[in-house]
Amino acid sequence: MVSVVRVVKKPLLSGWALLSIALWWVEGCAPSSEEAQDRHKMDTVYAVPWEQVEAYMKAAPSPVQVALWLRQEKVPFMRKALHDPTLAGKYAGLQGAANLGIYLTDMAYAHATENYQDAYEYLSSVNRLAARYGVDDILSVDRIRLLDKLQDQPDSAQKLLSQYYGELQERLEEMGQQAMLRHMILGGWIESLHIALVLVEHDSSKQQVAQLISLQKSLLPLIKKLYAVDSASYAASRQILTYLGELETAFQDVKVEAAPAATAVDNKGVIQMRFRETQSLSPKQVSAIKAPLQKLRQFVIQS
Amino acid sequence: MRKSFVAVSLLLAGIRWLCAQTSCKQLVPTCKEAYMENFSWDGRYWRAELYGGETTEIYYTFFPGLRYRLIPCGSSSTKATPHLRIYNANRTLLLDTRQQGERRYWDLELSSTQLLVIELYYPSGEGCAALLIGHRASMEASTR
Repeated sequence: MVSVVRVVKKPLLSGWALLSIALWWVEGCAPSSEEAQDRHKMDTVYAVPWEQVEAYMKAAPSPVQVALWLRQEKVPFMRKALHDPTLAGKYAGLQGAANLGIYLTDMAYAHATENYQDAYEYLSSVNRLAARYGVDDILSVDRIRLLDKLQDQPDSAQKLLSQYYGELQERLEEMGQQAMLRHMILGGWIESLHIALVLVEHDSSKQQVAQLISLQKSLLPLIKKLYAVDSASYAASRQILTYLGELETAFQDVKVEAAPAATAVDNKGVIQMRFRETQSLSPKQVSAIKAPLQKLRQFVIQS
Repeated sequence: MRKSFVAVSLLLAGIRWLCAQTSCKQLVPTCKEAYMENFSWDGRYWRAELYGGETTEIYYTFFPGLRYRLIPCGSSSTKATPHLRIYNANRTLLLDTRQQGERRYWDLELSSTQLLVIELYYPSGEGCAALLIGHRASMEASTR
């Protein structure tokens, strides 16, 4: 299976590499005014003090973190539920950043479920969008080749993906692209929740996936704060905030039982935390959460 | 004379600020190298300058079946190491590592998926502090 995938991928890789070089050359010679705006002006309008939002920005689990855990849970791959990778070229600005987060999540999910051909398609979309913001070197052809070589070693590949995601965040922080980073995180969060809902709909016995969905009730107020800070000056943030409010309403009936049953620390410094069993999500609750999430996701991915 | 004094003071303050920023930035790679061992880093870190008893909060989702390594790093002006207070999503204090002695890192396992709030603080003094979180399959999960 792996060798078949490799045979299919070699010409794809070469083609993609050529396309990337061609795109890079074209962009390097004549960046469009839209892209110039993406790179230099975006955050001067919408930026808010970093310390106000930094804690909230890192509250949502990263795409790599979710993917690692989905791999642990041995969930199936549901390609139909994912975003269309061919639309990557149609996005720009903050919407492009949100879609970068979506594609990163889809890529990590495909990779975690060992669907390397699909992961590769999403990686191409990620790279295409990353090029718009001058961070495509983090997911360069050489690095993709390195990732490609590690197909048989998912742990090593996961480590590399984590490293690339960390570098992406750090670079955006250093470049002062805070609004872009915020939207990338929002996109990743929306897609993670979307995938989790689809998985629970498909197999309601996945209790830990259901628990992950329930916990988003506690995260939602923090995600809302990310958008409340600039909703006065940015119409898209206002709209996102409205959808997040609807999502919060849908979560009202969900019980988040986080009462610890026991916490113990052994002499090696290993902390064991046991929690009481939580109430499972009902299909009605899943549908209630899915409706406003779909509206929000649609708002972000519409091209 | 006064102008020279102001210029030198500004220069020294600038150098001190730059050194503090550099050493703060250096914390993360140094701690990662020293204590992450065979854990995978998820690519994120938290870093803050803590003054006058300030704390910084970290929200993190932990999954069952994984062992997490929490690495609080830094050293305050009084050479104190940073500690962690761990709360659940409802803000109930679950653990204060200060009550468990001094360690360079803490490993953590949970029985179910949880969003925990981790407060990073110095028991005394001030300075830059950072938190790194790594993960790997837990012993229990790997023998399943």
